[in-house]
Amino acid sequence: MSSQVNTISGTHAGVAAGTAAVLAGMAHAQGSDKIKVGLLGCGGRGNGALQQDLQADPGVEVIALADLFEHKVRRTRDGLMKREQIKDRIKVADDHMYWGYDCHEKLAQCEADLLLMATAPAFRGRQLMAAIKAGKHVFTEKPVGTDVAGCKEIMEASRLAKEKGLAIVCGTQRRHEFSRVELMKRIHDGAIGELVGGQCYWYGEGIWFRGASEGMSELDWQCENWYHFTWLSGDQICEQHIHNIDVMNWCFDGPPAKITAVGGRQWRSSNQDQIKSAKEVCKRFNNGSEAGWEKYNGDIWDHIYAEFEYPNGARCLSFSGHSPGTGRNGEKIVGTKGTSDCRIGISGANAWKYEGEMVDGMVQEHKDLIASIRSGKPLNEGQRIAESTLTAIGARIAAYTGQVVAWDWLMNQSKQSLVPTQAELMSGKPLYHAIASGRDPMV
Amino acid sequence: MTAGTLVLSGAAGPLAYAQGSDEIRVGVVGCGGRGSGAAHNCVSSSPGVKIVALADAFEDRLRKLKTDFSVPDNRCFVGLDAYKQLLALDDINLVILATPPGFRPPQFAEAIRRGKNVFMEKPVAVCPAGAKMVIEASDLATQKGLGVVAGTQRRHQFEYVETMKRIHDGAIGDLVSAQCYWNMGGLWVSERQPGQGDVEWQIRNWLYFTWASGDHICEQHVHNLDVVNWAFNDVQPEAVHGLGGRQYRTDPKYGNIFDHFGVEFTYPGDVKTISMCRQIEGTANNVSERVVGTKGWSDCCGTIVGENNWRYRGPRSDAYVQEHTDLIKSIRAGKPLNEGKRIAESTLCAIMGRESAYSRQQFTRSWFMNRCTLNLVPAEGLKLSDAMPVPPAAVPGQYQLAGWVQERRGRRG
Repeated sequence: MSSQVNTISGTHAGVAAGTAAVLAGMAHAQGSDKIKVGLLGCGGRGNGALQQDLQADPGVEVIALADLFEHKVRRTRDGLMKREQIKDRIKVADDHMYWGYDCHEKLAQCEADLLLMATAPAFRGRQLMAAIKAGKHVFTEKPVGTDVAGCKEIMEASRLAKEKGLAIVCGTQRRHEFSRVELMKRIHDGAIGELVGGQCYWYGEGIWFRGASEGMSELDWQCENWYHFTWLSGDQICEQHIHNIDVMNWCFDGPPAKITAVGGRQWRSSNQDQIKSAKEVCKRFNNGSEAGWEKYNGDIWDHIYAEFEYPNGARCLSFSGHSPGTGRNGEKIVGTKGTSDCRIGISGANAWKYEGEMVDGMVQEHKDLIASIRSGKPLNEGQRIAESTLTAIGARIAAYTGQVVAWDWLMNQSKQSLVPTQAELMSGKPLYHAIASGRDPMV
Repeated sequence: MTAGTLVLSGAAGPLAYAQGSDEIRVGVVGCGGRGSGAAHNCVSSSPGVKIVALADAFEDRLRKLKTDFSVPDNRCFVGLDAYKQLLALDDINLVILATPPGFRPPQFAEAIRRGKNVFMEKPVAVCPAGAKMVIEASDLATQKGLGVVAGTQRRHQFEYVETMKRIHDGAIGDLVSAQCYWNMGGLWVSERQPGQGDVEWQIRNWLYFTWASGDHICEQHVHNLDVVNWAFNDVQPEAVHGLGGRQYRTDPKYGNIFDHFGVEFTYPGDVKTISMCRQIEGTANNVSERVVGTKGWSDCCGTIVGENNWRYRGPRSDAYVQEHTDLIKSIRAGKPLNEGKRIAESTLCAIMGRESAYSRQQFTRSWFMNRCTLNLVPAEGLKLSDAMPVPPAAVPGQYQLAGWVQERRGRRG
């Protein structure tokens, strides 16, 4: 993974060298410096990513939009067209707006060069595979899966992208912040000695809980309220805490060898506001009856406390969840010669503080992606983000089962597959898994 | 910290054992499984030790030891106040305190007041108020020249003692991280019998009520937390932040305790440690400690890996016996060990971890010691027949951390 670090920092140099990069053998329009972009997932993060992509490069033009829901696609196009500074770069024809459970397949067949993916993470494997097969570069939001099978599909798509010379960049923006890149170089060069410990945290208050609006099927509602279902979001440790887990993996240049974890959800199960909303949803889909409302309250947990043991024996803490209490967010890495906040500085024998340019990682990731496409040296972060996603999923499995989860087991033995097949999705049947007990079987 | 290594200066006052004899005459308060075990361990640890009086809340729990040691009826005391009657006996010079930990602070204080040497099971409290009582009574024990040893037997286990000496001498450099675990299955349950009042049932089934056991992080995991404190030379953590819950073991017969905790302790110098404990049947077991330094790491019990590789190859003994050997030897030598404050502090770590997990609030030790008003010490005059509803298991946002004033805070996460 250090090669990727180098590639990223190399890309900074490439950007600095100016816009005269030669367009060589790329998958975007010949003889043009335009990048035709399609967006998959027109929610808040999708619109944000699109904005950041437009901001990153003047050659970006939006030509297609896709989402599960038609109204979100239309609303997104309308919103973009109202914005003076960018509206001449929005060229979404009526026949380039796609919706439904197969919208990713239709989007992959349009003439876009680059697809931005920001739907719920459950479907990322098949979305990425379809895009890479169709020859698209991809920016994908994190995480990139919710189960073991999904992560493996990402790894496979990533290999295929490499063969085809396609770029995959992922929305773990910390990997593109100059400060962190410079810091990590130093950590990898031994500035804090051998890594022997670390901590990472994402603990916050709760999140939205969305009701069911008119015309929605029950599966539609689940997808709209996706955060609350493990098969859709991967649980909070995967959906949110992955940022911090990815930084730990970055420090150690790869995933942990072994994971132990505990956790539970007594706050979500007794949160009266959420229960009230869940009962409303239950009534909506059950002819006014509240019987069996519990499954509408979601199945994700509210806290997971995990220990990652990396191949060199270092044991690191991962601390995540949602509830009232003290919020935490960040990372710390501990070495034999010092420590680092993984953000801006090093303390200890080789104390150091980054004093260079600070960039918005959420824009920089798009700049790096597009620069890599233009230079004919496409970045490919697919394997790495699949590994970080699988690390989070591994911790979740360790907590849900009460067993120790080995990386080898995840990669070679686990048969876990939570997401419905494409055919099952098209049939429209909702999907509920039982809330994990803390001693679920290992699958 | 064997008897030989800890010399309490100024403790050469009159020994609190029977005049003209060096016989150790022992009273046992709490005659259940652990009390019985400790009584036998104590007797086999040293010559001249006799079990001479017994006390328990329940007559049926007392029967086994009564038979084992032929203790006469008039020296067997039953009831919640039985310990007072036992401690009033003048011929007893050592007491074993092994009732549920919630009762320990008043019983320990009374034992010291009565001038008895004490062996007490861990943990020694379930709340800060109780832990402070124990610390105060320990100070008094020092003044009175009384021995106090706690049932954290690792402190008396040779391989731990030798490893810790080396860690303190710098064998693994400065400590930068540590982990400790008590992950295992469940323990026994005492189901409620017809006619049992709230208090009687909760005492018989004490593991599962926070007021009685302190929850399993306190009742069990204190062993491992104590080892980490030991590695840090008994310098206490400055802050704590815990998570936990009751996810699997939810039946009412399991009272109101959690089935898992994960706690981060922050020691001076921003050194953070992992503490994890779980009681869920069928899950992965791990009961151990590990400390990491700038020059290597250690399992705390016989292995050091790094610049100063080392493995313990000396003798091994039964630490459950050794702790009594060390206590009695120290009493007889006129240099009584006093572990009271130390075990109270390790117990406090466990209690802090629990309260942080119950509330999901991060707080400092200083806040906990000075501002937290939690007091679970059983009321004087508690009766077995008293009504005592079981409080609900803690839920963050609903659990009121005693003395905590919620600061205004912006949305995060």
